[in-house]
Amino acid sequence: MKREMLGLACATLVLSNAAYAQSEQSGGPIFSFDGFGTLGLAHSSEDKADFLANDLQGTGAGRGHSWSPDVDSRLGVQFSAQFTQQFSAVLQVVSEQRYDKSYRPQVEWGNVKYAFTPDLSVRVGRIVTPSFLESDTRKVGYAQPWVRPPVEVYGLVPLTNSDGVDLNYRLRLGAASHNLQVAYGSSSAEVPENGGTVSAKDAWLIADTMEYGAMTLHAAYSQSKFSLDQFAPLFNGYRQFAANPAVQAYAPQAAAQADALADRYDPDDTPITFFSIGASYDPGDWFVMAEWGQTDTRSVFGKRQAWYATGGYRLGKFTPYITYAEADLKSPQSDPGVTALPGGAPFAVLNADAASLNAALNEQLAGAPIQKTISVGVRWDFARNVAFKLQYDYSRLGKNSPGTLDHQLPGFVPGGSYSVVSAIFDFVF
Amino acid sequence: MSFLNRNPSWAPALALALSLASGAAVADVVPVVSAKSPVYALSKNEVIDIFLGKLNRFPDGEPAVPIDQAEGTEIRDDFYMEYANRSPAQIKAYWSKIVFTGEGQPPREVSPSERVKKVLADHPNFIGYIERSEVDSKVKIVVLTK
Repeated sequence: MKREMLGLACATLVLSNAAYAQSEQSGGPIFSFDGFGTLGLAHSSEDKADFLANDLQGTGAGRGHSWSPDVDSRLGVQFSAQFTQQFSAVLQVVSEQRYDKSYRPQVEWGNVKYAFTPDLSVRVGRIVTPSFLESDTRKVGYAQPWVRPPVEVYGLVPLTNSDGVDLNYRLRLGAASHNLQVAYGSSSAEVPENGGTVSAKDAWLIADTMEYGAMTLHAAYSQSKFSLDQFAPLFNGYRQFAANPAVQAYAPQAAAQADALADRYDPDDTPITFFSIGASYDPGDWFVMAEWGQTDTRSVFGKRQAWYATGGYRLGKFTPYITYAEADLKSPQSDPGVTALPGGAPFAVLNADAASLNAALNEQLAGAPIQKTISVGVRWDFARNVAFKLQYDYSRLGKNSPGTLDHQLPGFVPGGSYSVVSAIFDFVF
Repeated sequence: MSFLNRNPSWAPALALALSLASGAAVADVVPVVSAKSPVYALSKNEVIDIFLGKLNRFPDGEPAVPIDQAEGTEIRDDFYMEYANRSPAQIKAYWSKIVFTGEGQPPREVSPSERVKKVLADHPNFIGYIERSEVDSKVKIVVLTK
């Protein structure tokens, strides 16, 4: 496959033995080396848009490739070091398809941890953002039942890590154990198709994971300042329109409208909140799991909600599962835009400008994912440390919405339906 | 009726098939500690929590260090099936979660049972598992409480 991924794979094989030899020694620091990966193909019935595992991928199934290896394939390696009882460090490097379609390895996690007590620790560096139940192993397919976490819910927060600091506190209350996390940091990523950068600054997060027997409950809340360069041209367009001397002189109301629209919708250090709750129950022979999440920002992104419920039954080496997921928009899908321009020939050009700005704004508002998906699949643990998974997804799109599909070509018709077939191998080493 | 006393050649195979079909464990795997260990009894949940890294102390407060048999051995698969109701793939997936969160590493592996007994004998805070028939004076079986 891609050269970068192979490079990482070779480095991996060499280091694997070295690390193993060292971990055999007793006393002193303990080093360990582990890896995970997925090799997969996904096919989408919609060829005028890309089906993606997340919004940050440059290409996907459908428009990009009929059968795309780029949706799910990845390779990750992790080095852990326990220097003393208190002091440890972890480095996780992942090679997966990025915004520019390359597989350049990225540092997913790189942090040092100091444990004041066995139950209270602090981490500094690049740390996982515990938005969801499966956030810690979002990229480790082998640890999950599905081909990929439901895109409706996990797509709410495509940024998976944060540079900063977090505090972890473990608490046993009766038979239940809690892991409380408070984190502060910032994160950013490049967006495909010259979309610039997406970032979350001054991000505060609080999360609790409770385990009680076979039951796990997770809740997270975060707030940050959210920016997305992608829309700058549109909102700069509105601002220029408002600054146009002709508009200011003859249609001051329209100028005020344009300024207000830019302020209202431009995600530029705009406050965003995220809230999620989830539960899973896994007594061994079967499992059920459900999560609900919401992002809310006063910007073109609006207020988005999504949830899923999934369940599976283990029959020896086979685990068939079924999932239902929904993504919805709870803020308006359209806006009248700039309306306060007088008619008539002298204003024809300005009206045309306003119309094209309004059209672009409404295209973005309508681009929010609204879809309902039913998935069936099976995991087959056919060999040690390797699982094969086959999954079929059928999605119905909300009115005028492309759903979670991206990179639409002209001629793409929103509001229809599509299906995805995926076959993957997940492995750990 | 003389034919009832005959022992047909297929009888052992049938017995084995029946025991497999009824889900009864063929091997009798027992958790063991050093004969010198003060540990006497643990609940099934405590045993499995120690092996899954969720519990790192014995009830008396002493550190508890689990010792696994090698990956792929029948005794290891039987142990987790009987004590955790988890298949080898489920156990591997569980440890993938822990390892890739930087939360810990699976227990050290020691095999075969002869070596487990030797290692346990020298380390009173270790806990392992072997077949009941392999228990000798170096180790003692942990009594399972309800």
